[in-house]
Amino acid sequence: MKSILTNIWKVAVREVNRMSSRGLYILVVLVLPILSIMFFASLFKEGVPTKMPIAIVDLDQTSGSRKVARNIDVTPLSKVTENLQSETEAMSELRTGNIYGFVVIPKNFQSAILASRQPVISYYYQNGFLIAGGLMQNDLTLILHTLSGGINIQKREAMGQPEDYIMSQVQPILLSTHQLFNPTANYSVYISTIVLPIMLQLFILLMTVYSIGIEIKEKTSHEWLRLSEKSIFTAITGKLLPYTVIFFIVMMFQNFMLYKVMQIPMHTSLGWLMLGSLLFVMAYQAIGVFFIGLLPMMRHSLNLSAFYGILALTLCGFSFPIEAMPPVFQYWASGFPVRHYMHIFQSQILAGFELRYSILSYLYLMLFFLLPLTIINRLKSALIYQTFIENVHKT
Amino acid sequence: MKNKYLNIFRPISEGFSNTFRIWMREFQLIFSDVGVMILIFVVPLIYPLLYSFIYYPEVVRDLPIAVVDLSHSADSRQFTRDLDATPDLKVATSSISMEEAIMMFKNREVRGIVQIPETFSQDIAMKRQTTISAYADMEFFLYYKALMTGASFVSLETGHKIQINNLMNEGYTERQAQITAEPFKMVDNAMANQGGGFASYGIPAALILIIQQTLIIAIGILAGTARERHIFGTLVPMDRKKMGTFRLVIGKAAAYFTIYALLCIYMLGMIPEWFGYGQSADFTELIALIMPFILSSIFMGLTLSVIFKNRESAMMLYLFTSIPLLFLSGIIWPLSNFSPVWLAMREIFPSSNAIFGYIKMNSLGATIFETRKEIMSLWIQTGVYFLTVCITYGYQVNYSVHLRSELASHSYREIRQKIGIGD
Repeated sequence: MKSILTNIWKVAVREVNRMSSRGLYILVVLVLPILSIMFFASLFKEGVPTKMPIAIVDLDQTSGSRKVARNIDVTPLSKVTENLQSETEAMSELRTGNIYGFVVIPKNFQSAILASRQPVISYYYQNGFLIAGGLMQNDLTLILHTLSGGINIQKREAMGQPEDYIMSQVQPILLSTHQLFNPTANYSVYISTIVLPIMLQLFILLMTVYSIGIEIKEKTSHEWLRLSEKSIFTAITGKLLPYTVIFFIVMMFQNFMLYKVMQIPMHTSLGWLMLGSLLFVMAYQAIGVFFIGLLPMMRHSLNLSAFYGILALTLCGFSFPIEAMPPVFQYWASGFPVRHYMHIFQSQILAGFELRYSILSYLYLMLFFLLPLTIINRLKSALIYQTFIENVHKT
Repeated sequence: MKNKYLNIFRPISEGFSNTFRIWMREFQLIFSDVGVMILIFVVPLIYPLLYSFIYYPEVVRDLPIAVVDLSHSADSRQFTRDLDATPDLKVATSSISMEEAIMMFKNREVRGIVQIPETFSQDIAMKRQTTISAYADMEFFLYYKALMTGASFVSLETGHKIQINNLMNEGYTERQAQITAEPFKMVDNAMANQGGGFASYGIPAALILIIQQTLIIAIGILAGTARERHIFGTLVPMDRKKMGTFRLVIGKAAAYFTIYALLCIYMLGMIPEWFGYGQSADFTELIALIMPFILSSIFMGLTLSVIFKNRESAMMLYLFTSIPLLFLSGIIWPLSNFSPVWLAMREIFPSSNAIFGYIKMNSLGATIFETRKEIMSLWIQTGVYFLTVCITYGYQVNYSVHLRSELASHSYREIRQKIGIGD
């Protein structure tokens, strides 16, 4: 037992030396992951979009229509940046991308209101963008309903109805919305918390495949196995150990940015957070080992890692919910550790639900550790016989 | 006379044939490399199909919710039925307590809770304002949106009916009542992606990004491989004859351009048609946008390829940009909320303007004139990256020539040691 530990240590020390020999290692394990964390932390700094540019086309130009126009500018989400003369002009501005939406107040708006002819206000918004489109629609609908209610209220006040009564009539049913377990409605909570682990898994996968693949490619695998006394288990454990430590530290730094700097609510103890992060890192290392064992030629296993790693963005279900996907992809999604990590985050960390609602996800993450066992013999023979070396003809 | 004629044309025709040779050699390099072939043929073929199938349902329909009906009245049961009737929501269970509903929520059996107050029916009868509470799942933006859309629609409609009823009881005619309740009508016009389908949001951006990323990585892989193959680790082979920088760049670019022009027919022509994504742009409009996009991506890829020392370098060091680039394009987070630093960063990559321009043209029906800012930026990028690639490749060509001339007086081993790749 003691000799195994010393061997693991020897392999790990060798790996650290290898890491310091090439700039690529330090870039992939530290520099690029930290730059990514900084990028997303800075991009979603504000949490909720504000002051999205919109336009007003006031074809009426009366005191009544100008009052409507002024009221459109009240919400923090949008900001009226242009007053335009015609609908065509506004449409062109929208297509050009200068505004996200516009409201058209028709000709004779004021006189139609006074004459009870029910004029029509149209609003247009760019729905080609997910967040901007949804927010714009909600915002414009809300503003116009408030305005419509305002006119109704004025009319009733003129008739001398009491205030309480007016409200009960104008808006008999009030909808009060509560956001369960994320009181801030903050987009960085949706996006950064999931995108950052997705970025990190990409680096973990590529690095794991590379660190083993390069030994095969550069025919150094015998030297590596010699240090581990021909034990593949010792060899892999020793090799991955430095990366486990570094990636775990990077992930904890990421958690620090999310929960301390960006102040995303965290309803679990530091211990669980550390456990979840560690399992996440190790699950992806296991998948990396599986890939290089499956395709010992590094060029192919790197391609496979890239394909799988990028797909995580879609199949973890953060953009489009898994439950709404065709069933075959729902099963497929379980094959991504980030999916289980996301569940732990949402259930235990963000919402603060009891452990029993997320315990299964911890088990799933651990299940990935078994994956390398299926290819361990294939990997070992690839390391020993070096049969997967591409013939490079030097010119 | 005849001789003079030849003197002018010889260098030109030689230039063409040289360029053509480099072009064909690049083809040979690409087609003989399985890894690169997978990257530039299989990935662009498979990914769009895969994404389209994953997002096939496109929208969230019938989100399961729990209704906590504390009123137990005919009014509240009607309200529940109305919620169930919306396309967005499906009432999985009603007549349970709040505790039970939260339990179901934690188990993910329901994705939202609507609570109808005990006094619901009395409030309506007594003409008091009543409050419905909606508890939304904040895990997914689309779930939140579905619950809010469904619940606010039913609340407004029910409220509207109550108001009109009351007004008619006060002696208004139906028309008068309607005008009082709704002084002006509102018409909602969603421009682009009327159905609000998710695939229509994401896939156009993904298509453009796949083109740029596979191009840059493929060029990087081939550059790294070339350095591994060449005995002194040079990017440019040490041929007997000096290779013209200009011919080298044009010849290589031509090879990628032909491949990607063909791929675009599939990715930007057939995929949108098969799956019914926006296709307002006509052929000339698409060409006006996509041509500078492919060219700038190629020149950017060739410029970047100089830094990749090994075959794996491009994948290891460049692949990760795919995810930030999706966000930099401005389709997820509105550009009006970008800091100046990221707006500047955005201009470095051709994909940002190409994605934005492609969505404008294809989903909103923008003309070439309305997309001028994006098209101009892409041409500027093409020009700038063409310059950088000429400078970097010029340096590499001279370096190879220099090493070759060294061979006259030094041995292989000496040179290899001198440039630091000695065995």
